[in-house]
Amino acid sequence: MKRILCVPFDPVHDVGIKLIRNTLAERGHLTELLPPDLSMEEIVKKAAASTYDYILISRTLGYGVAELLARFNDLLDAAGVRKTAKIVIGGKPITPELAAELGFDQGFGEHSSIDDIVAYIEGSAANRTTIQQQRIKPDITSQYFYSFRHKRIGELLDVIADKTLRWAEGKTTAGIERSQIREELLATTDPTRKKQLNDRYASLCDPLIADANTKKIFPRGIRYITDNEIEHLKLMLRQKQPTNQSSIRHHQRQPLIFKFLGSGCPIMDILHAKICERYGVDGFLIVNPSWEARYEGLIHGMLTHENDGTITSGENIALMREALHSATLLTVRAHRGLNTPETTLLAAHAGADLTKINLVYGSLGAGTDPERLTVDGIHAIKIAAQHSMPFDIPGNDELSGVPAAKSLAGLLINVMLGKKLCAKSILKPLFCYGPHIILNGQMKQNFVDYNTAKIRALRSIVDAPIWPGEPIAFMTQTEERVQSANETAFHAALAASTGVDAITIASTDEAYSRGPITIASRIDSIRAVTDAFRFVGDASLSPTSATDSFTDDLVKNIQLTLEDVVRYNSLPEAINAGALGSKEDGAYPGTFGKGTVLNSK
Amino acid sequence: MSALNNVIDAVDVETYLLCNDAHDGHRLALQLGNEMNLGNVDIMFEEYDGYGVRVRIRKYIHRPAQKYHWLESESQ
Repeated sequence: MKRILCVPFDPVHDVGIKLIRNTLAERGHLTELLPPDLSMEEIVKKAAASTYDYILISRTLGYGVAELLARFNDLLDAAGVRKTAKIVIGGKPITPELAAELGFDQGFGEHSSIDDIVAYIEGSAANRTTIQQQRIKPDITSQYFYSFRHKRIGELLDVIADKTLRWAEGKTTAGIERSQIREELLATTDPTRKKQLNDRYASLCDPLIADANTKKIFPRGIRYITDNEIEHLKLMLRQKQPTNQSSIRHHQRQPLIFKFLGSGCPIMDILHAKICERYGVDGFLIVNPSWEARYEGLIHGMLTHENDGTITSGENIALMREALHSATLLTVRAHRGLNTPETTLLAAHAGADLTKINLVYGSLGAGTDPERLTVDGIHAIKIAAQHSMPFDIPGNDELSGVPAAKSLAGLLINVMLGKKLCAKSILKPLFCYGPHIILNGQMKQNFVDYNTAKIRALRSIVDAPIWPGEPIAFMTQTEERVQSANETAFHAALAASTGVDAITIASTDEAYSRGPITIASRIDSIRAVTDAFRFVGDASLSPTSATDSFTDDLVKNIQLTLEDVVRYNSLPEAINAGALGSKEDGAYPGTFGKGTVLNSK
Repeated sequence: MSALNNVIDAVDVETYLLCNDAHDGHRLALQLGNEMNLGNVDIMFEEYDGYGVRVRIRKYIHRPAQKYHWLESESQ
């Protein structure tokens, strides 16, 4: 048992010292708490009147307070208090270094816990399990059964998915063959067979990609990461550990937080990711360069790239996976372009947890020919299923001007395809101020009602996880830092209110398109969301009655869209006809890979 | 060793510059970057409000795929 004097050496703030006093008293120590706002002389007189083992002083720092505390220490010394008692200072801006500088025996600051103080006084090690140690990898899909609550919509999706799967039967592409070659390459050790496979792979690639893989002639701005760089990175990651680990989520029911990685350089991405992990980010999405979508074939190896998007070679994904905490989720974008099956395969083999596939958005908003992406996408979903890797379905076609109902209908088609192919999927409706919404005024009054309606509509249709993105608050953010952080935070609070499973958040420089995202801007938005989650806690934002009519409209229009889609023989036919987004909406079927679907028989 | 070597990616400077108009504010923001020895800076955000301009300027120190000085210094 120790004798402890607790001193709120502050005109107002004494909550912290009261909490500490209560804990110490509960643990059997003899404690006394002085009233706040005593003069320095009165405190010294009281401290000298009895014998104490510890004098705990609580103080916030302001102008001139450092000098005041130094003088206080001198007075305690002169009164002989320090002969028996250790003098401890605590307060938000206090660090051990500052405490020592001011002459105190110990200091506790913002990141100290009451356990730390108890451990110091009792001379024991603090019982602190770090948040990092506690982390368990979440499974976003585990609580869902993918049953369709809306009978008619479920029936329509069933027919659309069956028609599409039948249409794709017997069809193949160079993308599928490359994924099969890659799979064999990953398994074989025979050098002769490897050579044969690599030669065949190169023959299925565009010359730019084949030259990079065989002659090491890379497109401008791409180079191998050197062994020296890898060695330095690994050494740095071994040397540095997160301190004062924090959590974004105020409670475990709040959505998981994802961020994009795609600076171009895996080393830069990894360092950003490690810092974001410290602040509580739960997962990352690797975003590849947009040009990768246009070429047949992928460049292999550990590669860095001067421009937007990190090359999703198996080696790069594996490097990033290895550097991340084992509980951090990693998803790899595969939803567009001519390499969807191989990217999904590489993601699975490199240890990614999720991949990103959307046959509709990849065709309508991301440039790939609908026929090609449907054949490739179905194969990719099969690969995902084989590796028990769920796929998330981004609804970013809304940004092209596609009405939300059509975009959501597209997501649901992917869910049904996944269900039929035994793959689990995650719905990603946008929380955005999209062109169709701007033109039609659904968000004229607020950003709450229509975003909430999207969630309610999807929930009324299917039992599946929901992860708004991508990122939330798209088209509401500007290049002004606080405005951007606020929009992210408000939308995050709304997401938490609606009980969704995860969200993707932007950085405060996301709207700035002339350079890469910086780590400081990532931290800005993480801090904003952390505060938003603390603010909303287990309460919720209340939408107005307009949400009900928005929800009804969305469900009705999703059904109407699907009634239209079902008239066509296949999904590509429906996409080309504009059933899931027309030229008038601003959506154009893509052309990458047009005419490249082959009959496998 | 320069502290700039340890900047992971970029330095942002945010401030408010008293000026005559938006054009003047823009010019001063660029000039500020030079006077702070940052060289040519990007203006990420600028808003003139009649009194002056609220600005956010940025100078990239390490861009992706470049040689990162921090990678060597921090792993020694």
